[in-house]
Amino acid sequence: MSYVVKRPSASSQWYLPAIFSGMGLTFKKMLRNLFVGDKMQTLNYPEEKYEYGPRFKGNHVLTVKKDGSVRCTACMLCATNCPAQCIKITAAEHNDPSVEKYPISYEIDILRCVFCGFCEEACPVDAIRMGPEWQSPALNGGTFNYDIQHLAYRGNLKGGIQSRVDDQERHKAGI
Amino acid sequence: MPKCTINGKSIEVKPGTTIIQAFKEAGEEIAHYCWHPALSVAGVCRLCMVQIEGQPKLQIACNTVVADNMVITNKSEPVKDAVRWGMDFHLINHPLDCPICDQAGECGLQEQYMRYGQYDPEMAEPKQKKHKVIDLGPTVVLDSERCILCSRCVRFTEEVTKTNELGIFNRGDRSEIGTFHNKPLNNNYSYNTIDICPVGALTSKDFRFRQRVWYLKEARSICTGCSTGCNVNVYFNEEGTWRVKPVQNDKVNGYWMCDKGRDVYKFTNLPVRLTSGKTGSKDNWNLLEAGALAKDVGATIRAAARSGADKIALVITGQYSNEDYDALFQFFSVGLGVQNIYHWINNPEDMNGFDGLLFRGDRNPNTKGLVARLEKYGVKTKWLDLEDKIKAHDLTHIVIAGPENHSVFPDLETKLRLFDQVPNVVWLSAGKSVAVDGLTAVTTQIPMKTFIEKDGTYTNYAGLEQKVKRGTTIVAGALTLEEAVHLMSGEELDMNMRPLPPKYLKTNFLVHKGGPL
Amino acid sequence: MEVKLLTEHYDKPEFKALVGYKKLGGYDTLKKAFGMKPKEIIEIVKASGLRGRGGAGFPTGMKWSFLPENNEPRYLLCNADEGEPGTFKDRMMMERAPHQLIEGMVISAYAVQSKKSYIYIRGEYTESYRTVEKAIREAYDGGFLGKNILGSGFDHDMDVYSGAGAYICGEETGMISSLEGLKGQPKLKPPFPAVKGYLRKPTIVNNVETLAAVKYIIRDGAQAYRKNGTEKSAGTKLFSVSGNVVRPGNYEIPLGYPLKDLIFNLCGGLKHGRKLKAVIPGGSSAPVLTADEAMRATMDYECLAQMGSMLGSGAVIVIDDSNCMVDLMKVILHFYHHESCGQCTPCREGTGWLDKIVTSIVTGHGRLQDVQLLEKVAKNMMGRTICALSDAAAMPAISFVTKFRDEFEFFVREGRSKVKKEGYNYAQMHH
Repeated sequence: MSYVVKRPSASSQWYLPAIFSGMGLTFKKMLRNLFVGDKMQTLNYPEEKYEYGPRFKGNHVLTVKKDGSVRCTACMLCATNCPAQCIKITAAEHNDPSVEKYPISYEIDILRCVFCGFCEEACPVDAIRMGPEWQSPALNGGTFNYDIQHLAYRGNLKGGIQSRVDDQERHKAGI
Repeated sequence: MPKCTINGKSIEVKPGTTIIQAFKEAGEEIAHYCWHPALSVAGVCRLCMVQIEGQPKLQIACNTVVADNMVITNKSEPVKDAVRWGMDFHLINHPLDCPICDQAGECGLQEQYMRYGQYDPEMAEPKQKKHKVIDLGPTVVLDSERCILCSRCVRFTEEVTKTNELGIFNRGDRSEIGTFHNKPLNNNYSYNTIDICPVGALTSKDFRFRQRVWYLKEARSICTGCSTGCNVNVYFNEEGTWRVKPVQNDKVNGYWMCDKGRDVYKFTNLPVRLTSGKTGSKDNWNLLEAGALAKDVGATIRAAARSGADKIALVITGQYSNEDYDALFQFFSVGLGVQNIYHWINNPEDMNGFDGLLFRGDRNPNTKGLVARLEKYGVKTKWLDLEDKIKAHDLTHIVIAGPENHSVFPDLETKLRLFDQVPNVVWLSAGKSVAVDGLTAVTTQIPMKTFIEKDGTYTNYAGLEQKVKRGTTIVAGALTLEEAVHLMSGEELDMNMRPLPPKYLKTNFLVHKGGPL
Repeated sequence: MEVKLLTEHYDKPEFKALVGYKKLGGYDTLKKAFGMKPKEIIEIVKASGLRGRGGAGFPTGMKWSFLPENNEPRYLLCNADEGEPGTFKDRMMMERAPHQLIEGMVISAYAVQSKKSYIYIRGEYTESYRTVEKAIREAYDGGFLGKNILGSGFDHDMDVYSGAGAYICGEETGMISSLEGLKGQPKLKPPFPAVKGYLRKPTIVNNVETLAAVKYIIRDGAQAYRKNGTEKSAGTKLFSVSGNVVRPGNYEIPLGYPLKDLIFNLCGGLKHGRKLKAVIPGGSSAPVLTADEAMRATMDYECLAQMGSMLGSGAVIVIDDSNCMVDLMKVILHFYHHESCGQCTPCREGTGWLDKIVTSIVTGHGRLQDVQLLEKVAKNMMGRTICALSDAAAMPAISFVTKFRDEFEFFVREGRSKVKKEGYNYAQMHH
């Protein structure tokens, strides 16, 4: 099937009208940002941050049990499944025989992470989720290795509330 | 010789062969848990069902002896159905612990479920609750819920070690494996119960939760813990070696190995290794590349030998391979004409000890090989001569092919104090040692490779030579004794031919191959 | 019509003691037996067509001839571990006529040339244990046991051993394990006990009633014994009738006797004039018969086998229409769950599974597919284990479900019994 390309007309090859309409929009917004602050179109990043929906798959969150300990059993399925190999877990024996195994360290190298979400899918106990946080700027390289403290117990952790679901409740909800 | 047909293949077997053995001989797959070639027949898992032509009922292969002209199959529908249901009966009360179970990845249940099961479970009722994390002894942890009561471990303690620590308590689906009061599972072969456990009911305290098995690669090797030379698989990854398991070899160890031998991986790992060459003396060490150091020290020794080979002594332990010894003797005895060659025996009093099963008092892998070479090169020295010579200050240089495994050398410190009286000490060893770092003589420490990092031949107590291939590299900077000797003799080494440390990332090694049952 | 052969003198209390027993013709047969050759006795027993009375119904003479011809010591074991629910004949035989058993055993021991025998009595039978023990002491004093019995040159020692009350120890190899001091678990066969049994030596295991019957076969001859019963099921047998009948108890009847007559003539019919619903003809492990089948059945090995059930130990459990079959199933399956020794996986897990399924049905949590599942699980337990306990649990389960499927389905749908007004009180039953 032949395909006819419509050549732009001679007048539209002059881009000036489009440039002016675009600049007009920019200046209009600029003036509004300057004088009507509460209707501002941009955010003062990094002081202000954009809120994504709760289902946004951003930085990892380690969920916790009702008693506050991490739900993770250190089965290493996330680490095995991780295509970027950014998860490092060290397991240890728990005092409570019903828990048996737990992670003494759980580190995610967020710079390696490709946010594929495979870890979340591999997890048999809903211990790791991709949370609504997304940005990971930091001042030095070491801070990109997120540990348990960062992933589960950080003060301003977002998405942590949904993780505080008990096993029975999950069972009832059919999770 | 009865002839039978197994799944269409006709084979001839020895009289008295059971069907399951005939299946193994014919190379046919058959599901089983409780049967183990080295243990008695229990016939309880009921998975090795076969159909014999002319018999209405399915029979278990492990307790049925092959008769002449038997036509046996396990590919028919009734057998498949029986095995599928057998799997189901095993699994209805088996917890879904796989994520935290150490056996996952090399588990008999997982494997056979994938091969013979793969059905939708119909059990809707709650599973049977039993005890978890039971401490059976210093080496083994039991999880009764995971146990399928195949009784392999019980039969092992009954028949192989004859210590009878384990038993099955209670009955029906309340049955649990256990030990008797105040009688923990504490014998030198207890880890074997973990190996023969087809599920994750028995787990090793040493290995528990340290690695997932699919991160581990295995290398066939021999145990260097004593002069028996049990055949083993060493499991390793880029972080180091993690455990040792026996491999069947009827000439040497059968199916088993002792608990002491399970520790041999421990001296190969980085924290206890000498990682680079060192020269100097107490509190004043210069780190140098091992090869360069070997060359330097070689030049010194050659110079010293020219002024008098009797001022040089060579001390050898039984921890190296035959190839290493050959190179060593070739250089010192033939090349330099050194006569003062001494055999360092670490535990002379129980050198001939034997526990009746596998473990021997001679805790060196290659004493026999060393003794053979001492004879070959006509060395007839006694240890006391060396002590006399040192005390008389007759020696200027002493070269020590020291131990790989320091833990089996209880006399290490006393001997080092003796060597310290010689002005120049050359210490060749894989392990790092505080005692060596405390030597006041001018000392050169050259890092050696361990058994898992080099090819070599070891002669066991019975004179059987066993060839070992390199498995992995843990200390890339270390040399084998053979390489060190070549460098000392002034030859060059092609560094490009030397193995590099593993660079692969953590990989799931079990994806393409099923583990052994 | 009852034929009183073994039970002839059971009403007389003096039969229990040696003096009274001898007065009533006791130990005369033993003298007669010592006049024969051991081989002759085996031939007579073979000719009599006596079959094992414990449950399996294996020809006794044949069993004896399986002994290997060698000089190893042989053992004769008497299986008095009468564990089958519904059976109580051996208990009566031991309590009322212990010498009859001892005499039968010495004759049998002479026939198989065994110098040592044991009577393995069920743990719960303390009275039987005492009676038999006392009788053995009397027999030793009377010279019927010990060295050179009655001057025949035959030595025989007898011991009595009490079990700890495990059903599985009624299985012959389970009993041998228990007697050896091991955990009462059946052993793998082959080798069979006749080749390698107690202490790995040739061993014959027979039921109390079988051994007692040997005495009467030797006394009267094979042909006289064959007068009762049918061609293939010769002689008389004791039946323990229990359940909803007017006169429950032990009845000695010739084999081949109609079940209908046993229930309605000898036992006086059903209580309170209720209707017959089902009969379990051979102990709890025998498949159940419906009322129709029961009316047609005759009590012999062949007829019941043809009907898909079995004579078993001869425990006739009569069930009237006021009973819920699901409840009964629960009781039976709970028993087998509790008694499984736990060696073989299909039995260990299967009996537990069956119990759990039927429990969830009777507690009102059943699913419709559970009825079918019950049948499927049971079918896959059959013939897959070392001993027959798995079959013993599976056979009644299959027969209950197939013959009374409507009751099971009703229970699942409605959450209550079809027959009983009130719901099943699960908690009450267990505690």
